Amino acid sequence: MTATSAPPVTSTTQRPARNARAGRWGWLPSLGMASPPAVLVLIFVGVPIVIGVLYTLGYTGGLNSVASTLAVQTYPAVGAGPTLAAYSVVFADATFRANLIVTVWVTVVTVLVVTVIAWAVALYTRLAGGWLGRFISGVAIIPLFIPIVIGAYAIRQFYGSTGFPVSLGRLMGIDVPVWTLHTQGIVVGQIWASLPFAVLLISSGLAAVPDSLIDAARDTGASLARAVWSVMLPMATVPTVIVATFTGVGVMGSFTVPYLIGPASPNMLGVALQQTYASFARPQNAQVMAVVMFAMAGLIGAAYVWANARQAKQSAVI
Amino acid sequence: MTTTATDSASSGQVDRRSRDDRVPGLQLSGISKDLGGRTIVHSMDLTVPQGELICLLGPSGCGKTTTLRMIGGFLTPDAGRLTIAGRDFTYAPPEKRPTAMVFQNYALWPHMSVTGNIAFGLKIRKLSKAEIREKVDWALELVHLTHHRDTMPARISGGEQQRVALARALVLEPQVLLLDEPLSNLDAKLRIQVREDIREIQQRLGITTVLVTHDQDEALSVADRIAVMNGGRIEHNAEPTTLYSRPRTAFVASFVGAMNWIESGPSGGGIPLQDGTILPSDHLSADHGDRIGLRPEDLLPAPAGTEGTAPAEVERSIPRGHYREVVLRCGGTELRSYTALNLAEGETVGLRAGRALVYSDGELQGGEAAGAGEAQAFERRAAVQRAVASDALDSGPDSGGSGPEPDPAADRSALA
Amino acid sequence: MASMDLMAPPGANTGLALAEPVPVRPSRVKARIGRVIAGILGVLLLIFILGPLVWMGIAAFAKQWKYPSMLPQSWTLSFWSQVFSSQGLLPALGLSVRFAVLATLASCVICLPAAYAMGRMRFPGRKVILIGLFATNAFPKMGLFVSIATLFYWMNLMNTQLGVVIVQALGTVVTMTWIPAAAFASVPPSLIEAARDAGAGRLRVFFSITFRLALPGIMVAVVLAFLACFDEAQGTYLIGAPNYITLPTKMYALAVNAPIQSAAVFAIVLCIPSIILMLLVRKSVMGGQLAEGFQLK
Repeated sequence: MTATSAPPVTSTTQRPARNARAGRWGWLPSLGMASPPAVLVLIFVGVPIVIGVLYTLGYTGGLNSVASTLAVQTYPAVGAGPTLAAYSVVFADATFRANLIVTVWVTVVTVLVVTVIAWAVALYTRLAGGWLGRFISGVAIIPLFIPIVIGAYAIRQFYGSTGFPVSLGRLMGIDVPVWTLHTQGIVVGQIWASLPFAVLLISSGLAAVPDSLIDAARDTGASLARAVWSVMLPMATVPTVIVATFTGVGVMGSFTVPYLIGPASPNMLGVALQQTYASFARPQNAQVMAVVMFAMAGLIGAAYVWANARQAKQSAVI
Repeated sequence: MTTTATDSASSGQVDRRSRDDRVPGLQLSGISKDLGGRTIVHSMDLTVPQGELICLLGPSGCGKTTTLRMIGGFLTPDAGRLTIAGRDFTYAPPEKRPTAMVFQNYALWPHMSVTGNIAFGLKIRKLSKAEIREKVDWALELVHLTHHRDTMPARISGGEQQRVALARALVLEPQVLLLDEPLSNLDAKLRIQVREDIREIQQRLGITTVLVTHDQDEALSVADRIAVMNGGRIEHNAEPTTLYSRPRTAFVASFVGAMNWIESGPSGGGIPLQDGTILPSDHLSADHGDRIGLRPEDLLPAPAGTEGTAPAEVERSIPRGHYREVVLRCGGTELRSYTALNLAEGETVGLRAGRALVYSDGELQGGEAAGAGEAQAFERRAAVQRAVASDALDSGPDSGGSGPEPDPAADRSALA
Repeated sequence: MASMDLMAPPGANTGLALAEPVPVRPSRVKARIGRVIAGILGVLLLIFILGPLVWMGIAAFAKQWKYPSMLPQSWTLSFWSQVFSSQGLLPALGLSVRFAVLATLASCVICLPAAYAMGRMRFPGRKVILIGLFATNAFPKMGLFVSIATLFYWMNLMNTQLGVVIVQALGTVVTMTWIPAAAFASVPPSLIEAARDAGAGRLRVFFSITFRLALPGIMVAVVLAFLACFDEAQGTYLIGAPNYITLPTKMYALAVNAPIQSAAVFAIVLCIPSIILMLLVRKSVMGGQLAEGFQLK
């Protein structure tokens, strides 16, 4: 994938057409048209999050009452004030702490590995081109075509005790460790599932850097490696940050991959959540775990916003 | 070129400021390149003396950009040798060549400020912060952009971006400066100013320069020599005046400046037109050929019936500011003339050719002889101009009525 | 600046600092080695990505496959007939299709007008809504589903078809607003002006010009949304089980209970719609419609 010469740096993006209806309230119909999805999200995402947080702070009545009735145990607030009883119960549980560590570890490792592999694939395709580059890119995209349930199941079998690496090892007389039902298997599954999106986004980010910018760097005396480092990398920061944050949030909250591939315990928080909610019938505890996950995701999101704002300031395209 | 004693003593390298003028600044021998199965450049030879600006001029697809990219190192020639100041850089990558290119779209790095862009190459050469600052200041001063030192490229205009690109190239003191259609992204008025700035800087610094363009106006105004390219070959490599008045091939004649073409050889001491009428010519470059080229300014209209002219009718008269482009039909052939005379549509005039170039098989016949007629042609054109000017001073234009008779008093004050 | 020497930069001449003549064509060995390494890494990637799928694919046709053999000892198609005749497959398939269609339709109705407004009109809060919708992706999915479940209990939507449809539709909101919005925005205003100039009314202009031109992008979004609903497992599992079992949620049970051959057959069947539909929109996804959607300004 190579880019041809681009026009000069000032960008000209397609602006939305001005609303033809003049007048002070001309924007009302447009806002009306745009609101249904916002309303849907507000009701079915916004409200649950708010009542969820309130639930964890002990407000077990109101919208939370039905769930509480079905619960084995809840930790309601005493009087009017919030209580952190649910939090202390959950955090006191050693299993929860172990799950938390597993979740963070798997997320960090996946994000790092996926970013590196995606950059390697995208960079090779962009610079070397040719059929080999296209082939490698194409292969990396394949998981996009496969439902995650299937992918996770296939990986579970493949890295299991009768799977390919172990069988091959046995035939060659080597003892290959089994990764299914271990944390390593979860990481493999997450990488498998997250790679396509990362490759797509970073590839498109690199494609947006015209050849002439790399040529100009080499013309000034930079080797190809230096040109990539000083020109391509900074210019592809936004896609990289998007990839890192999306992958991070996605992995953190995942259920299917750890459920099918991971061990019974400790596993990722997504699995623990589902078990705590459904099997153990402790919705409030599950909600606490959810809030913890939201907080971690919030940190990642904040990093994303910060990186984006810095980028926008630099390129002066606001 | 004089030697600056202090500079050549301090640096042990070949200092451009005390160079050996006998070694060509740039030399291509037998350079050829195939791309996608087609031969883009055929075994090209080109020698550029130190400090000269040569222009590669030609239509799109003629191979000029490919040649430029080979000089810059972005393409490797399939055959041939390329030397810069006598050293062979044929297969060197761009980072190892003492060349610097100003790209058509400027190629400024958007995440670095103007200073960052200019200083990039200096940082790679591991200069100290103070040295870098000195050189960047010099470069900004050179292109008059000191006030934009810390601005980001997205915030400055196209013309300013180009100046940054130029500064970035020049701060590295390249042996050869390469310019890829530098004016094509600028608007018309800006082009003229910028091309003169580029030429002035180039001459002052004495850098060997190769400029690629498809605009012959640009080439004629800035180059020391012009190499007109067609289909991967150089058809004519000469100074602008020679190129214009004695183009070696019919292609060059058409490409540089406008040309009237008559598809026939000379006969009866003149130019035979479609219906057999002979257009008398003061000077033909040769006696035999298959095509005759006549520059519009060498087609001289005179009052109808003047001795030694062929009759012609004015079909269209297009004002062009200080002269007119007149489309005439003479002997069944359509001809164009540039003249100061105020001719109107429908008017009959008598035509004479001043200087005509005879071509056979696309090649100019009698090149030396063609040159001989130049001086007289020049003198004749000047005489016509003087006559017209004095006419205007005396009584105002007397044409067949292309407009109301201007007031002589008003006219005089306009010319004052 | 009279003191400035404008003929050359101050300081030492750097013109030839990095210059290195190379009169001879450099050897191809380095390039060859590079290609070989890339080839090896490519093969490793191929095994990493395709290996598990191929391994599972083989299992679907295996009668007897003893460890540690690389291939089954005997082959059969019996598991295929078993799965197709079993109780579970067709109902689950039917349910999957029904939910996916309903959710995608609902998403179209709710999101496409909004996408048009956000792509072509200016109004206060446009950016807020765009980012806000996008922000739903910022919440870890399972955490969100648990919170939604609590609300659903109160609204009596738990274990209902409507509940499942809502959960699936929620997952498509971003796809069905951002991508069509970018598609609508990319219709050049000059084309619309030319149509108005020729006398077409607003509705006519919309259907003949704007909608037609944005259709490819909209189709990509619809296909991606349908697939997302069809393959949705987590939310459907939490909300719909045990009454409503779709193909993906059935897979959860099969993964632990059924022999690998049956599960493999089931898995392949579940893959087919995905593969077909993705192949159809492959060009747009890889060509940048997806990435363009993220660039909406």
